[in-house]
Amino acid sequence: MAKSRTLRRQLLTWLAGPLIVLWSISAMVDYDIANRFVNFAYDRALLESALDIGRQVKVLNNRIYVDLPEVAVKMLQSRESGKVFYLVTGPKNEYITGEPDLPRTPDPVSDRTNYYDDEYLGRPVRVVTLQFPVETGKGSGHVTVQVVEDRAPRTEFARLILLRMMLPQALLIALAALLVWYAVGRGLAPLSALRSEIESRSHRDLSALPEEQAPQEVRPLIRAMNELLQRLSKTLAAQQRFIADAAHQLRTPVAGIKTQTELALRQAPSEETQATLRQLNTATEQTIRLINQLLSLARAEPATERAFSGERFDLNALARDAATEWVPRALERNIDLGLDSMQAPAMMEGDAFLLREMLNNLLDNAIRYTQSGGQVTVRVSADTQNITLRVEDNGPGIPESERERVFERFYRVLGTGVDGCGLGLAIVREIAQRHNAEVSLGQGAGGSGTVIKVTFPRTA
Amino acid sequence: MRVLIVEDDPVLADGLTRSLRQADYAVDCIDDGGEADHVLATQSYDLVILDLGLPKLDGFEVLRRLRRRGAKVPVLMLTARDSLQDRVKGLDLGADDYLAKPFDLPELEARVRALVRRGQSGGSAALTHGALTLDVAGRRATLNGDPLDLSARELGVLEVLMMRSGRVVGKEQLAEQLYGWDEEVGANAIEVYVHRLRRKLEPAGVSIRTIRGLGYLLEKEPNG
Repeated sequence: MAKSRTLRRQLLTWLAGPLIVLWSISAMVDYDIANRFVNFAYDRALLESALDIGRQVKVLNNRIYVDLPEVAVKMLQSRESGKVFYLVTGPKNEYITGEPDLPRTPDPVSDRTNYYDDEYLGRPVRVVTLQFPVETGKGSGHVTVQVVEDRAPRTEFARLILLRMMLPQALLIALAALLVWYAVGRGLAPLSALRSEIESRSHRDLSALPEEQAPQEVRPLIRAMNELLQRLSKTLAAQQRFIADAAHQLRTPVAGIKTQTELALRQAPSEETQATLRQLNTATEQTIRLINQLLSLARAEPATERAFSGERFDLNALARDAATEWVPRALERNIDLGLDSMQAPAMMEGDAFLLREMLNNLLDNAIRYTQSGGQVTVRVSADTQNITLRVEDNGPGIPESERERVFERFYRVLGTGVDGCGLGLAIVREIAQRHNAEVSLGQGAGGSGTVIKVTFPRTA
Repeated sequence: MRVLIVEDDPVLADGLTRSLRQADYAVDCIDDGGEADHVLATQSYDLVILDLGLPKLDGFEVLRRLRRRGAKVPVLMLTARDSLQDRVKGLDLGADDYLAKPFDLPELEARVRALVRRGQSGGSAALTHGALTLDVAGRRATLNGDPLDLSARELGVLEVLMMRSGRVVGKEQLAEQLYGWDEEVGANAIEVYVHRLRRKLEPAGVSIRTIRGLGYLLEKEPNG
């Protein structure tokens, strides 16, 4: 997940980053536009006021005055957009009416309307200046009407407009980011599926990953991985083949050694030589067992050419056959080997050959590690969910601390005084895993000995 | 008794040869398949011990050619491979027995004895187990030469046990063996026959062992 999340974050950064920059630029542009329109609208209103005042400029007896009724003044002073101040000056810039302390238009322009920003009473203001031609007895001139209003309402209004414009945009960006987040998730779903497919695999499964549902972009990756898997399984198979071949090749010479040793044992004259030959024979037996177990292990592992055959068979019958085969060996060691199973067949699906190997290893171990006069029992039982195979002995048992480790390859419990190579239970576990079965190791019914339980899920 | 050993490993071939010579067989030994095929086509033997992995011509092919010529000589296959398919293939081609390498020498010798006997009589005429002898054709058993009083079914059970002496015989197998004789024989009936046999044989030191859940076993003679 860590990887895909980074991809998602990258995409989001690349998409949302520029969007936010664009949004900021847009905010500046929008603020400018808002200001313009607000100014335009407010200026018009201000101009109206100026015109209203200008219309009241009258000349009486060559004296210019402004006939502003009380109501009009009140109206000017209580406009919605804020208090308005005015100043009317004559052609010679002389005070006529209004606020005398209003800053005069610095350079009264001829006849046209003039807007500009200024300051009045310490506050930023907007000023409009209008000039009206007047005729007095003394000649013609211009009356200048100045109307001033606070700029604060404008700014506030512009801000309000900006806010109204920016908010939906911000929402849009958030929505886009959310969509990207979701879309990336959707787009990466095949990768996630691939990830869980790989995660859920056992280390044995080296089959090709599914390519069909993956999007075009991911396929080369899958293909590359599949090629790697293929090479890996080829290497593994070659390794296992080598082990199998080596074990096979060893069998004939070892058979030669064994035959010769047994022959010599029959003819050996002295007790001394007999003892030596017996040791040699024991060593040969051990070698044979190791060879056979190496072969079993090579066979039980996947990636061998030997395909896993999923035939249906009766585990009960298989256990009976295996136990029957081991009876002479058990009797030799004075061990009472028996079968305790149900009457009905325990049908299951799997590889009978491998399971036979498993049983052979379990029985070999049980017989090997149980003292003379002991008992070994094979049990097969079944319920609706599982078929269970148990091999139980009343031997010395395996200490709790060793129970997990005995399944490791070449691990041997110390102090048993028995020759073994420590592969038996590794083979058992390997074969069990190939059948989705669980192997557990416990104590025998009487509080002593060992029970190895293999639980197979019922396939049908 | 002429035995031909076809085995390319010199140490193993030598061991086998000497072991069988000690048992008074006349042994020839050949180390490649082609020559084995040639020798088998021209000479007759009482038993062939045939390795599967041979130079020039493999054991399967030697066996196939041997049987194609109609030779009935018993063949004991030896192989370093232990796959089930190989075993089945060998037996299908007409091998009489099969032994995986490495094997115990007494095991091989026992099988050689059984095969030679079968080859001679075309079936087993008489089975012996220590002091016990069973005349299969005459349906008679003797203990130290004295006739034993056994019913037909007891004889049937004893015959199967003797044929597989030292190995476990299941109750079902015993029942199957007796099935053709008259009415169906149940597991309980088998127990009764075995019980009676024990009573008659135990005084002579021949014991039939019960193997829990598996069946019965005629214990090996002490002298092998």
